[in-house]
Amino acid sequence: MPQTRIERAFLWSITLASLFFILRQVGVEGAIFEYAPEAILFIGAGILAVIFAQTRRLDLFKNRLRGPILGWLVGIAVCVMVLVLAQKGVQDSWEFAKDYKKAWKALTPFASFAIKLFALFAVALLIVGTRDDATTPRGAIERAFGSNMSSKVAAMPMAFTAVGIFVIATLWTVYHSFTNSKLLPKSELIGFDQYQRLWDSDRWILSIKNLAIYGACSMVFSLVIGFVLAALLDQKIRLESLFRTIFLYPFALSFIVTGLVWQWILTPEFGVQHIVRSLGWESFTFDPLFNPDIVIYGILIAGLWQGTGLVMCLMLAGLRGIDQEVWKAARVDGIPAWKTYIFVVIPMMKPVFVTTLVLIASGIIKLYDLVVAQTSGGPGLASEVPAKYVYDYMFGGQNLGQGFAASTMMLVGVLIALIPFAYLEFGGRKKHG
Amino acid sequence: MADPVQFTGPHGPKPKTPFSRRNIMLYGTLIVVSLYYLVPLYVMIVTSLKGMPEIRMGNIFAPPMEITFEPWVKAWSQACTGLNCDGLSRGFWNSVQITIPSVLASIIIASVNGYALANWRFKGANVFFGILIFGAFIPYQVMIYPIVIMLREMGLYTKLGGLVIVHSIFGMPILTLLFRNYFASLPEELFKAARVDGARFWGIYFRIMLPMSMPIFVVAVILQVTGIWNDFLFGVIYAKPDSYPMTVQLNNIVNSVQGVKEYNVNMAATLLTGAVPLFIYFVSGKLFVRGVAAGAVKG
Repeated sequence: MPQTRIERAFLWSITLASLFFILRQVGVEGAIFEYAPEAILFIGAGILAVIFAQTRRLDLFKNRLRGPILGWLVGIAVCVMVLVLAQKGVQDSWEFAKDYKKAWKALTPFASFAIKLFALFAVALLIVGTRDDATTPRGAIERAFGSNMSSKVAAMPMAFTAVGIFVIATLWTVYHSFTNSKLLPKSELIGFDQYQRLWDSDRWILSIKNLAIYGACSMVFSLVIGFVLAALLDQKIRLESLFRTIFLYPFALSFIVTGLVWQWILTPEFGVQHIVRSLGWESFTFDPLFNPDIVIYGILIAGLWQGTGLVMCLMLAGLRGIDQEVWKAARVDGIPAWKTYIFVVIPMMKPVFVTTLVLIASGIIKLYDLVVAQTSGGPGLASEVPAKYVYDYMFGGQNLGQGFAASTMMLVGVLIALIPFAYLEFGGRKKHG
Repeated sequence: MADPVQFTGPHGPKPKTPFSRRNIMLYGTLIVVSLYYLVPLYVMIVTSLKGMPEIRMGNIFAPPMEITFEPWVKAWSQACTGLNCDGLSRGFWNSVQITIPSVLASIIIASVNGYALANWRFKGANVFFGILIFGAFIPYQVMIYPIVIMLREMGLYTKLGGLVIVHSIFGMPILTLLFRNYFASLPEELFKAARVDGARFWGIYFRIMLPMSMPIFVVAVILQVTGIWNDFLFGVIYAKPDSYPMTVQLNNIVNSVQGVKEYNVNMAATLLTGAVPLFIYFVSGKLFVRGVAAGAVKG
């Protein structure tokens, strides 16, 4: 069908133009990007003219796509308003515009591009709506810009966040990790120098080691403690909700509060060490926050205090989901309870364990606040973690390139951890359904 | 353990003795573990009610000999960060001004998004949604700096408005997932009946979906209020001393190197910062559990 093909061509031209426009806005330089978006839009307009040449009929009032067309015209009006607010004269006379001067100015290129885009959409619908009646199947253009519009507009914040922030910001950072950015981001590539410097730095190696120790211990301990607590609470005990409330309340507190409390409890002069000594054991030493060798375990104690309640909650939900028949069968066969847990219940709860593990792991890589509050990375650099390395280089050391490289390494770490999970999760699901 | 059903002999559960060895072990373990969880809260409260001489003399677990509320007053209105000495109250009001609009904005956006995804699916919607959920796992550190540039371009860097935008953006994945799953679990006949009666996108949203989904809105509010109130990373990056949220200011007060350390004031300040999420936790009870569990539910 030639009609469909030409409509597709129009949609592709729009997509391509938007892509070039985004690249230009992100700061990609080059003569092509200077003119490409508008040029491609012009080609799109040409394609529209071809479509129009086939029908040569335009009617706004008898058009069955009147609603969506008006919608796009409203969109144009909004963009025009942004452009007006960005004018100096308007800003001087109207307070509201003045406060956000820079915001309006930053939005100008987007608004002017959107006006051209929306105008094309409206004209395209005008042509298509006049050409087709309600009995012909909807063409590609109508499906893209003329139907289910409210839903598409409602999903715009999501699309903007997903593409505009998550994808573009991530790619931007990855690209700039290959540059020699210092105080300001630069765009000339210098290859892998930043990564070489990163892996040569003792501080980074130490950060990775700390994170590995913290991560491994925190995964094992919070899974074990969380599961044991859940199993204990699942024994039909009295005051279950009281115990659950006690185990979970630290999770409501921020890492800063957690870190500061444990910093206080672990202070050698006043805290645990002082108390044990005053009981008569004079040589007792327990000063994790001041001993570089064990400082990460001091942080681990606080981290576990904060996080195991959540694991317990998830495990408890998992245990409650287990069929009671399993227990009856185990009792009939005379299998002791602990064996039933290890060989029957835990394998049955595999999905819960996987979810919990992913949750714990995604929390571990973010470890930052707790360290800042509890030790500020000290003593010396003994409790540094990658997230803190990134922050210190980006905002403290004015060495953006290092920060970008380190954060890219964090991303790589997450991807390595996430891909097997995604494969298990989604690859497995396809087999079943 | 399941009901001890007996298949032979007398019927009905075996009468239990309250002090069997099993029960003593069970409750003993639970109480000991509870102590580990409760001790920090106890220490915080006790320390914040003592005077400094008493802290230097005694041990941190001892109850205060004479109760004083001075540390609380000092933490609220006089504690110093750098040159400012107007206490935590400034951080508190900053946090309030950040939290309320962020919670409202993120929940409105995410609920409409989730509704569009659950009931009005369009081609390509799931691609965006997939990216969004994937984005929840990307370390924030990778996206921080481009957002700094973006906010600076818009003149919102280090302003409260900028923080509101950042919180709305990063709250979106989990909230959208929450709302999408909830709306998808509602009976579809309801939606279809409304369609037959001529209701459109917004009509169905406001007249049918919104009144039916109050519980999930409460869960979302709990999730967001505690999450945004407890945030530190975004606060320290996208704010400046005047606009620091409470957590950042708290950390600066306690970990400042100048002056004599006043542990009682520090603990009072810590408790004040933790008070809001703790209050929400104890009031909301089961809904909080549902909120944190929802964070774990997969798409």
